[in-house]
Amino acid sequence: MVSVLNNPPEVLSNLPKAQQSTAIRITGVSVSYPVGKNHRKTILQDLNLEIEEGEFVVVLGETGCGKSTLLRIILGQELPTSGSISVAGSPVERVDARSGYVPQKYSLFPDRTVLDNLTMGPETSRYHILGRLKPGFRAFRRQVREEALKQLQHMGLQTSDAGKYPHQLSGGMQQRVAIAQALMMKSRVLLMDEAFSALDPGTRGSLQRLLRSVWSELKPTVVFVTHNTAEALYLGTRLIVLARTSHSDACGSRVALDMKLPESGMSLNRNGKEFMDLVHHVESFSCGVSHEPISSLGETI
Amino acid sequence: MPFHSPFDIQARPNRLFAQTLSCVLFVLCVGLYIQTSAKRHHENSEDRVVPNVHQLTGGIHASVLEPAEEDDYLAPDNTSKWELFRHSMIWKDTVASGKRFFTSLLLLVPAVILALHIGLFPYFGAGFLRFILFFDKIVALSLLPILFILFGIDEASKIALIVIGVAPTMILDVTQMVKAVPREQIVKAFTLDANNFDVAYRVVFRQVLPQVINSLRLNLKPMMLFLFAGEMIAASDGLAYRIAIMRRHMGMDVILPYVLWVAFLLYLIDLSLRVLNRRMHPWFQS
Repeated sequence: MVSVLNNPPEVLSNLPKAQQSTAIRITGVSVSYPVGKNHRKTILQDLNLEIEEGEFVVVLGETGCGKSTLLRIILGQELPTSGSISVAGSPVERVDARSGYVPQKYSLFPDRTVLDNLTMGPETSRYHILGRLKPGFRAFRRQVREEALKQLQHMGLQTSDAGKYPHQLSGGMQQRVAIAQALMMKSRVLLMDEAFSALDPGTRGSLQRLLRSVWSELKPTVVFVTHNTAEALYLGTRLIVLARTSHSDACGSRVALDMKLPESGMSLNRNGKEFMDLVHHVESFSCGVSHEPISSLGETI
Repeated sequence: MPFHSPFDIQARPNRLFAQTLSCVLFVLCVGLYIQTSAKRHHENSEDRVVPNVHQLTGGIHASVLEPAEEDDYLAPDNTSKWELFRHSMIWKDTVASGKRFFTSLLLLVPAVILALHIGLFPYFGAGFLRFILFFDKIVALSLLPILFILFGIDEASKIALIVIGVAPTMILDVTQMVKAVPREQIVKAFTLDANNFDVAYRVVFRQVLPQVINSLRLNLKPMMLFLFAGEMIAASDGLAYRIAIMRRHMGMDVILPYVLWVAFLLYLIDLSLRVLNRRMHPWFQS
């Protein structure tokens, strides 16, 4: 653990810098909202980040520090007040298919079966609304369905689940399908907003393991927002802690800690002193970060 | 046996008891009617205000198997029952009112599409929402004279009255439904490479459709109300026209079956929409 804390980030990064290319570049980004007349509340302030391809970045911070705002501006759902964002080398101005997205809630379309949820992306991508009348659509659809069934099994679900509607699945199963849905698009960037927060510790643990194995296999760039320090340490290869520099509305959050973690994952005893020290160390950068009681971490780490 | 209070929120009445209870008011109404009719007929055997069973049977027979006064007479001996029904008063009126009703229903489809666009596309919202909010406050019946002047007293004015009466409320209702679709779903669709029309019609419209059908079910009665208003003022056929004509002759023996027939038709349309919704959207019921 000491080595994790003391070594400079470069030492812990497995990939040499020269071989990596930037997946997400955030330059001088500030986000503020008007509050009443002649007053603005700053959420993010002068944020500069470069996220390399294949990195698993976990963003941690106290409630209201701008974690989700950061995700929304990377996604293009929101535009920064100043600064610029680029994904895969081109600026982000609106939501598009460059990034996959897994939110905490409403991650699946309730009116579609699991299989239709999975095939929607590839189908829409190739055949827009009237394009479905074209002759090649049926064959393409059959092919995508086969691929979707494989993806479903890969996510640990049964093929019999393919015909179910989202409301017939548990929360954990829904998030598995949501991850599969994003992977079906083969996006190189995956954005996850508190994707496992609403799940019980057991389900969360199994989904964390699944996500780690998917990431190890495909190496997409992942930006994972969470408020759970243990989860952050387990999942990420890079940890970014956002924290407000002052309680004033004029001061937004900045990067308080930017730490690389071993790519092979943290192999610390989940109940051990070393692990707890690391958790406290990370939390000291953001005193408001919620840390669940150690008993509930048993399943997650 | 424990006492069951009607004000017990946590009560669990058994199925048979609940079904019996649901019939009580119907039975009471029929009983009250029969008693009132008998009393009035005891005082005046020619009473037409509360017709007895015999008079009602005659009225139903006249409505279902006899042509309207303004139509040609068909000899019952040479014609089949079905032919008689096809040329009956009630058939003619139902077809006439039905045409107006379903044409109006069809004209509500563009209103729903407009609502979808208003709720989803910011420029549509900016352009239309305030105008429709204002237009919704105009009492549709107050426009009836204007509609008669503009379209004449033919079909167009009656259909326009129904559409003008129901469409603004429906548009506002559907707009709210569209706005209530979680933003995450729309964002997610864009990340799946959907374009604006994919999002509008393949994501949002599909999700709000069951609610749109429910909204339509709630609007069936207002639609019929506006249809009746139009027919009662200026028409030469239709269910409301016949009721208005029969009122002049104190023809309660025909008016009552007509009222029940209209209620039955509306119930049937409502039931069909409910079944359609359940079949088409099994995910929605949950």
